Amino acid sequence: MSMRPVNIRFCGFGGQGIVLSAIIMGTAAVTRRNLYAVQTQSYGSEARGGQCQAELIISSQPINSPISERKDIIVALSQMALDRYLPSLREGGTLIYDTKLETNLHATSAATIPVPATETAISLGNQIAANMVVLGFLQESTQLITREDLVQVVRETVPAKFLELNLKAVEAGRQLAQGVKLEV
Amino acid sequence: MLESRSGQRVLTGVHFMLGNYAVAEGALAAGCNFFAGCPITPANEISERMAKRLPEVGGHFLQGEDELGSIYAVVGASLAGAKAMTATASAGFNYMQEGLGYAYAIEAPCVIVDVQRCRGENFATQSDVMQMRWGASGDYEAIVLAPASVQELFDYTIRAFNLAERFRNPVIVMSETTIALMRERLEIPPAEQIEVWNRKYTELPPADYLPFKAPEYGVPDFAPLGKGYHTIYSLNPHDERGRIDWDPDVFERLYKRITGKIRENRDLICHTESYHLDDAELALIAYGSEVRPALDAAEMARDSGMKVGVLKLATVWPVPERQILEVAKQCRAVIAVEMNIGKYAGEIERVCAGVCPVHKATRNRGLIHAPEELYQFIQGVWA
Amino acid sequence: MTASVNPARRHIRPGGLPHFFCPGCGSGQVLNFFLKAVDELNLSLDNMVTIGGVGCTARIPVYLNADTLHGVHGRTLAWATGMKLHNPELKVVVFAGDGDAASIGGNHFIHAARRNLDVTMILVNNLNFAMTGGQVAPTTPLQSTTTTTPYGSSEPPFDICRLAAAAGATYVSRWTTNRAHQAVRAIKAALSHRGFSLVEIISQCPTHFGRYALGSGKAADLLNWIEERSVTLAQAEKLSDGERAERFVLGEFIKMERPVFAGSTIYEVGR
Repeated sequence: MSMRPVNIRFCGFGGQGIVLSAIIMGTAAVTRRNLYAVQTQSYGSEARGGQCQAELIISSQPINSPISERKDIIVALSQMALDRYLPSLREGGTLIYDTKLETNLHATSAATIPVPATETAISLGNQIAANMVVLGFLQESTQLITREDLVQVVRETVPAKFLELNLKAVEAGRQLAQGVKLEV
Repeated sequence: MLESRSGQRVLTGVHFMLGNYAVAEGALAAGCNFFAGCPITPANEISERMAKRLPEVGGHFLQGEDELGSIYAVVGASLAGAKAMTATASAGFNYMQEGLGYAYAIEAPCVIVDVQRCRGENFATQSDVMQMRWGASGDYEAIVLAPASVQELFDYTIRAFNLAERFRNPVIVMSETTIALMRERLEIPPAEQIEVWNRKYTELPPADYLPFKAPEYGVPDFAPLGKGYHTIYSLNPHDERGRIDWDPDVFERLYKRITGKIRENRDLICHTESYHLDDAELALIAYGSEVRPALDAAEMARDSGMKVGVLKLATVWPVPERQILEVAKQCRAVIAVEMNIGKYAGEIERVCAGVCPVHKATRNRGLIHAPEELYQFIQGVWA
Repeated sequence: MTASVNPARRHIRPGGLPHFFCPGCGSGQVLNFFLKAVDELNLSLDNMVTIGGVGCTARIPVYLNADTLHGVHGRTLAWATGMKLHNPELKVVVFAGDGDAASIGGNHFIHAARRNLDVTMILVNNLNFAMTGGQVAPTTPLQSTTTTTPYGSSEPPFDICRLAAAAGATYVSRWTTNRAHQAVRAIKAALSHRGFSLVEIISQCPTHFGRYALGSGKAADLLNWIEERSVTLAQAEKLSDGERAERFVLGEFIKMERPVFAGSTIYEVGR
């Protein structure tokens, strides 16, 4: 399978599982789809103030430059992160954001998709699973990885006591993406 | 992601692994059985992984009381027969220079990983490239390998152990924040496909053994400790018997040999890779993470009709002079790419002097070059 | 008539003598004490690694016909740590001066004691940095004149044995070069001990400490001065803190059992 590189930025605040989301997606792409992936994140003073962001590039070819400031997809789970990182979305890119956030992006050519990630996670019992709702949404809408890939990597990654919650959240995210198809 | 099957040295398979973990796995695959290190970011994941993994394979882990304690414990373990490694980051690497100097002088094989960081923070840099070569006191030759990816952090760490054992010399893996804290695809081959070199032990009985006897540019055989060989390992100038001797001829012979054993074997040690160089008129010369945007920039230049190639220096010390010179003879100019104020560029200028001009795409902003920046630099030079 | 040869000579590295110690220096005595202890215990130097850093004392192992490491100031115990973790069967003996052990190597010293690293350390305390020319050391008595304290030392000295004991050493004793018999007995106890064992030996440096601090370059004057200030543990108990600080308290301070160091993490994986 040949595909052009997909640049994804996950952002929010610390404790939302932002980096973990990128790692899970990357692990599934590499170890189960036999793709290439590079994941980086912000460190040092850049990462202070509670903000958190992780970048993931997935490609069918080896990836050279690990940094790209033109993202195909931005996933935002906090208002501050959304405001800060939105300028890195490329023309025609996709913004996936939590419904509790606000954006004035409507004027641009980018697609904006509100996803009730936090709300759904709360309804499942714990808002910390919001990242898993988004992962389920990303999986279903992009098909970069399969449902089985994602479920398997989540099983190998999250602590046993949160596994059931996380798998439910993934499934809920997939349901929210029914009929949504992102070109990657 | 922290999969580690108990007792298994080589985690054969495809992984999405952190660069620092890949260093640890490479070390284990090479036979490392001793690690000592002191906490410092961004190298901590190497220590943490080794602390978890070494006991599973019968090795030993020491959290040193400081960097000096760590490097000397590594040297002590090495002399006792261990394949030993330490890992640190720029500031900690300063402290280790003292122990490194001793390891060069007594020819103790060991591997040192320096995850370069900007002063006090985990930003990208290659500013230790000269410290790697010249940091310790005394006369010696350094072997420094510069991986550019998570895969190479694994591969080059194995190579570092092999070269250390083969040449009885410390070998430095020049890591960087950029690749150390990156997760990337890593393919670990089956154990039987990994080439591992081990040091040579003497076959002579103690009465006939001379611990530092070797051909003019050769490597002496080891004797095990505690077996009656009565070896003396002194920092001071020593003769073939290891005895301290300040005779100028002894002094000269020793330093000629311990530097010559590296210099005269550069063809075995120095490793480079060429990209699009066959018909190149202009070449980027890069090492470490900076190879990555250099490759992208060369592709962009090719797409615009400019014949640009890349010479990747997998070994930065000793300087791969022959390979750099070949490129210099072929091209009308070369561009030295690095993430510091322009240090190694001086070495490239030295090699290319009188052959072709050297342009410097060097900067230290805590950021790896973007391909677009290097592309613009190429356009400026090409015109 | 044939000259009798010191039986300890067989432990000396062939061609190793003459030694480089100054006339009257105590380091040669300590070398003798050690070899006497080795002989009396019937130990072999063949499976022993002896370690010296830099300094006068650090030269002692260079004369021994054993595997030897030498030449970096203060790092003796760091070497020993790596060695003992990788090969616990090796018998490791460290010779260090007071500058080596308590100044530049002070951090390694307290951590080796804390970990109960299974090595013997013979610490020759000649009360100054001798090889470098008689500078003040962390053990120099208060008010002593040295080349870097021309108006007298203002720094209170370490009590090395108390430092080691507080840090966790499991065998600690102190004697002087005047007390040959007790020093040999202490070295034997240390070599027979499992864990971090320290024997501090107060020694004379006539060339520097004697001349600068005491105004005499004669070894005998120094030995007398050391003897006058020496008290046993029992005698020391009757002294005030102030009086005790000006004495060399001699004896065996610590002798206890504790698990020895085997690495920073617990090793029974899959227990």
